[in-house]
Amino acid sequence: MFRMLLALAWLAAGSAAAQQVTLERDSPLYAEPRLDSAQVTQLKLGATGEVVGKQGAWLNLKTAAGSGWLFSFNVRFPSAQAGTGDSGAGATAGRLFGSRRNVSVTSTIGIRGIEEEDLKEASFNAEQMKLLESYAATRQAAEQRARGSGLSPVSVEYMDAKK
Amino acid sequence: MNNAFRHWMAAALLAALSAYAAAASLDLGRIFDVGRDLRTAAVGLDEKDEIAVGREVAGRTLGAAHLVPDPALQAYVNRVGRWIAMQTERPDLPWHFGVLDTPSVNAFAAPGGYVLITRGLYEMLSSESQLAGVLGHEIGHIVQRHHVKVMQQSAAVSAGARAAHRGDRGILVNNLIGTGAEVMARGLDKGAEFEADRIGVVLAARAGYSPYGLVEVLHLLAARSADDSSLALLFKTHPAPGERLTQLGDALAPRVAVLPAGQDPAIRQVDPKTPPPAAAKPTAVEGARALQQQEEGGTTIPSGGSPLPGGGSGILRGIFGR
Repeated sequence: MFRMLLALAWLAAGSAAAQQVTLERDSPLYAEPRLDSAQVTQLKLGATGEVVGKQGAWLNLKTAAGSGWLFSFNVRFPSAQAGTGDSGAGATAGRLFGSRRNVSVTSTIGIRGIEEEDLKEASFNAEQMKLLESYAATRQAAEQRARGSGLSPVSVEYMDAKK
Repeated sequence: MNNAFRHWMAAALLAALSAYAAAASLDLGRIFDVGRDLRTAAVGLDEKDEIAVGREVAGRTLGAAHLVPDPALQAYVNRVGRWIAMQTERPDLPWHFGVLDTPSVNAFAAPGGYVLITRGLYEMLSSESQLAGVLGHEIGHIVQRHHVKVMQQSAAVSAGARAAHRGDRGILVNNLIGTGAEVMARGLDKGAEFEADRIGVVLAARAGYSPYGLVEVLHLLAARSADDSSLALLFKTHPAPGERLTQLGDALAPRVAVLPAGQDPAIRQVDPKTPPPAAAKPTAVEGARALQQQEEGGTTIPSGGSPLPGGGSGILRGIFGR
């Protein structure tokens, strides 16, 4: 049901703007979102495509050379242009991954956030530390909430950097 | 006992003594750490020291930006964070998580279990998996003692200084941290950041989440304008998000087939009654007002800009988010 709603929302918004991405490196376009699936075509660095869906680490892409699935690490979304008022993430990335809420009011222009000088000059705030400590969660409370949200621990090995 | 054996004993003893002497002349610091647990001996601080240092740094950071005044939000982030921390080798550190009331986009880790995420970053997130990825990255720094190792390398912390202040943890802590919370603005080497990214993905997956939340956040960050001032400190202290994506993609590629799909629960929103973060030093009021109008559905174009294609960022943002 949830996924259906997402799909509907996606379709409804489909005409609002093209979901253009650009390839960051040469990369195969796969028939399915799996590295061992058949390759539709080999895309070159700089090629563009339109994102029509996502699944895990994969983007479903429509390109001039055909449609298929691309490892999402191999593309970049267009970046926000300074001064356009798009103070959130770039529109396309924001649409795919970003918060639904318009958070521009908490963004850049006119409001200054925490910067290097603030940190250098900062002194210990005992009252705020007391507050922070008051919010700590016990293992039991954390586990109870996680299980309640349908989360169960899974055994996954740490991974190495590419050799 | 025969002579041969006695000679052998003497030779062995001599060898051991000279090895000890060599070690002492090479690294005085290690001698002071004899008797401490072997893992912390490598960085010269025991866990108590580490926690004391982290608490001081976190408390100073809270001096630069307060917590968002939304207790339910703070309790939520602590439960999510603790659950992820429980999937590490250091589940019983005094883990603390907080959302800082600043529009900057960033997250900080202080030694010993203190993790702070800014409201600017929190409000960009659209799912608990993304939050899990961000917290997992910071937890990774703490579990790997990345900041402790950097502090340890600073000249102020010689073996001599440690010996002199033995028993006086306050002086030791101050020597390690330096001025204010500048250690939070210093940044780690790229290798430590890439490692924390890989750990973040794994911890989110271990906790039962979709492993790709952090990847989505990196895409969001990569698409932010490079001259966006709310990201200035993040971009100064971290490798470019695009570079992080490339590194993480290379490490993940052999694993995508076996990583579990995981769950993607909704993220808790900041209570809408909470006022926007207080401006530390408000500057261009006009700009802020223009944004406010944009937020309310007005058509004001911020000065120097042009209308967005497709009718404004608010409409474009977050279709797949929730």
